Amino acid sequence: MSLVEIRARGAPTPLAPKLGYISRLILRFLGLAVGDAFALWFLYQLVIDGVWFLAAAISVITLGINVVYLRKDLYSLHWLSPGLALMVLLVVYPVVFTVYSAFTNYSDGHLLTKKQAIRLLEKEQYLPEGAPTYRWTAFRSPAGEYALWLVSEDGKTLLTRPGVPAQEVTPGGADVGPIDEEGIPQSISGYERLSRIDAVRFLSELGKLEFGEPPNTIKISSLDKAAQYQQRYAYDASQDVMVDRATGTAYRAVAMEGTFTSAKGETLRPGFQVTVGWQNFNRLLTSPALRGPFTRVFAWTIAFAFLSVLSTFAVGLFLALVFNDPKIPARKLIRSVLIIPYTIPGFISIFIWAGLLNPHLGVINTHLVKLFGWSPPWLSDPWWAKVGILLVNLWLGYPYMMLVCTGALQAISPDLYEAAEIDGASAWQRFWSITLPLLLVSVGPLLIGSFAFNFNNFAVIYLFNRGGPPMAGTLTPAGHTDILISYTFRLAFASGRGSDYGYASAITIAIFLIVAAITIFNFRYTRMWEEVSESV
Amino acid sequence: MAKKMLTIFSLIIALSLALSACAPKGTPTAPPATKAPTATPVLTPTEVPTAVPEQLTIWTDEARGRVMEEVGKTFTEKYGVKIVVQPMGFGDVRDQLKVAGPAGEGPDIIIGAHDWLGELVINALLAPIDLGDKKKFFLDAALQAFTYEGKLYGMPYLTENVALFRNPELVPDAPKTWDEVEKIADTLEKEGKVKQGYILQQGDPYHFFPVMTAFGGYVFGRDAQGNYDPKDVGLDSLGSIAAAKWLDMMVKKGHLKPEVTWEIMHTMFESGEAAMMITGPWSLPRLRQSGIPYAISNIPDGTTIGRPFLGVHGFMVNAFSKNLLLAQTFLTEFVATEETMQRLFELEPRASAFLPVREKTTDPDIAAFGKAGEVGMPMPAIPQMSAVWTAWGDAVTLIFQQQVPPDEAFKNAAQQVRTAIGQ
Repeated sequence: MSLVEIRARGAPTPLAPKLGYISRLILRFLGLAVGDAFALWFLYQLVIDGVWFLAAAISVITLGINVVYLRKDLYSLHWLSPGLALMVLLVVYPVVFTVYSAFTNYSDGHLLTKKQAIRLLEKEQYLPEGAPTYRWTAFRSPAGEYALWLVSEDGKTLLTRPGVPAQEVTPGGADVGPIDEEGIPQSISGYERLSRIDAVRFLSELGKLEFGEPPNTIKISSLDKAAQYQQRYAYDASQDVMVDRATGTAYRAVAMEGTFTSAKGETLRPGFQVTVGWQNFNRLLTSPALRGPFTRVFAWTIAFAFLSVLSTFAVGLFLALVFNDPKIPARKLIRSVLIIPYTIPGFISIFIWAGLLNPHLGVINTHLVKLFGWSPPWLSDPWWAKVGILLVNLWLGYPYMMLVCTGALQAISPDLYEAAEIDGASAWQRFWSITLPLLLVSVGPLLIGSFAFNFNNFAVIYLFNRGGPPMAGTLTPAGHTDILISYTFRLAFASGRGSDYGYASAITIAIFLIVAAITIFNFRYTRMWEEVSESV
Repeated sequence: MAKKMLTIFSLIIALSLALSACAPKGTPTAPPATKAPTATPVLTPTEVPTAVPEQLTIWTDEARGRVMEEVGKTFTEKYGVKIVVQPMGFGDVRDQLKVAGPAGEGPDIIIGAHDWLGELVINALLAPIDLGDKKKFFLDAALQAFTYEGKLYGMPYLTENVALFRNPELVPDAPKTWDEVEKIADTLEKEGKVKQGYILQQGDPYHFFPVMTAFGGYVFGRDAQGNYDPKDVGLDSLGSIAAAKWLDMMVKKGHLKPEVTWEIMHTMFESGEAAMMITGPWSLPRLRQSGIPYAISNIPDGTTIGRPFLGVHGFMVNAFSKNLLLAQTFLTEFVATEETMQRLFELEPRASAFLPVREKTTDPDIAAFGKAGEVGMPMPAIPQMSAVWTAWGDAVTLIFQQQVPPDEAFKNAAQQVRTAIGQ
């Protein structure tokens, strides 16, 4: 029995627990209400903008939290619910959203929802042909009413107020005072003339006003200009058509395109987001990229991932074995030094390596030239570039393998080695028959993880040489060291259509399927080792 | 139990609704515009107040943000409108605007590069700008750069372009043509004075463009209004191929070497191992610090005038801004003045796009860049340009590495661009 419980029992004040319960209950309801208020406000915004997916995620989370906090039998979930809510928001929602995006045209030119696009288009103004433009001067009454004195390009003057037809007024009369050298009356009775500076102060108010009688109202478009601007586009919801009032052209909303398109095929900007079915996947499958250098890129991706895992594992294991031997002097120190590459951020070491291997200034190459009169063209020769990038990745990856193997080696029982020694097994035999199989039982899954990681190791490819050197004569730009992810990155974001998130999502899903298939295959294969461990 | 829970739940929702009613509304519906504003408090004529406390938000990078904040104070004093600067990375301004703009959380004004236009305009994120009487104070080419499909979307304030740098101790007179460049390089290299007479980065199309235009090449053709036409890909035009052949010749003769990066190019020029290079004003601080003598001159000609890409930075207005009129007025009344433009000009060594400041430039380097930029062509802002860089750069690299003949490299690059943009 804990101290708290003893205290609770030992203090028999009859009211306190009850009060505590009620206040806690009220606090809980209040907390929920405040939380729900925020959620509702947020949902309101999202629904206005038509952002349905995030709205759904927020609804699910809010509803879930309410249920958990209101049902007594779900008490145990109280402490889990924040974590679950975050998981829904940060893990489930992005995954669902990526899958959803793959079926939409979400891209530059189609970033907005249909509602947002309509709202934006309806804000657009135009000046009907032949409509005069004016220079304006504002007058303001003490009550905050405004009048504009307009001077047209041909020198005509007009006085106009909101809601009242504009009229030509001869200055110098009773209402309108004498004009100054710019042709603007110095005073209008009941109003005070605003200087240019004051006009800026009241500009936001002035900009919202329409002067004169509808529909021919005059609006301000800049500090110098006012004219009879008209709303350019009007949306007809019943027919789902956007009408250009300047030309009378009707732009029909095209569901699969996410655009307002006229009969002539002209489209309005911006377009909007719509679901487009399998269009992105079709585009991927019929993409010239798949007919082009795809097979070469794919083969190199597999080779790169496989060789990276193999080389880092081999070097890591070798070093782990060597420094596992107590006879090696200062082994702990050396082992620590060997881990250093692991502690330097990859971004930095990749750049440093690209510099070291540069044929003109790179330390490695200049020394090789001094020694042998030749150095490998790491950055320009297709094969040497591949060797170079594998070496860099080896440098980046072996410390991890060394750490993992060092740990796994401790787990192998020394009895096995003793028994083997008594049976007369050589060191080589001991390694192949005991160390490696038992090591792979625990390290195997990590190797698969490493394979999947290197399969998508964008950073090392992109930062080292941007996938270069370029392949000659390909249908789409590709480099000799491009892997699938860096190759498709170019496709999605260098297609000449701006950023195409929908297409990029479809590519992501395709790559996920490939990696998943390989991983499943790998796991099947490694079951073999589990069987080995069971029989030990 | 379930019924009780439902009751409590509905109570909570009712309470929440009451609470959220207090919250600020997301999109205020504009009041019926024909109605005159109702009863604002009666004011005595002596105090001319601001109607509502207003503010304009600007998104820009930190250095420019500091200047805008400082000059903004004067604006606030004069007009009573607060200027709020939110500093962020240069490129983040564009990316963030795409997210925040439609959500109504974007700034009123951004400072950015003209080649963002394509991306921002197709997303309808920019409001057109009317410079009115101030138009005549701006460099024509800079206005042209900020014009997209006939509409002006930005107020330019600086221009940047590359020019030819030479070491005057090695090359006393500026070469007028690329043939001269080759001859000078040949002589200097033979005399053993330099490793490379003229040095160029491998696979960098931006620095190759001036050579390309000198031989009549182009990237995208332009229509009568000066808009770039994505249907006219010029990478395999006769001029571009002539330039590619010149490059091939330079590599074959050993005057240009592969695997030269920006860093190597600079190091060699600064140590006197290279005598000529093409670079922009961003290199000035570094070169001045190195102490190497340098002179700046126009891009050499080939069969025609060598033109660099012109990059223009300027102010743009967010189409979703609630203060469109005020934002535009801030730009035309306050930023488009000699005083503010001078402050912005002093910030970094770039030629001003504002003629009164540009014409008064005393710094000979910046004046030289300005002169070289007079014949510059605005970098295409159309979205199709993103399909060009890699293909074009690969072609230049392949020539540097002598993997394919020059005409083949550029023909294939043009084909790659056409494939990507779907022709």
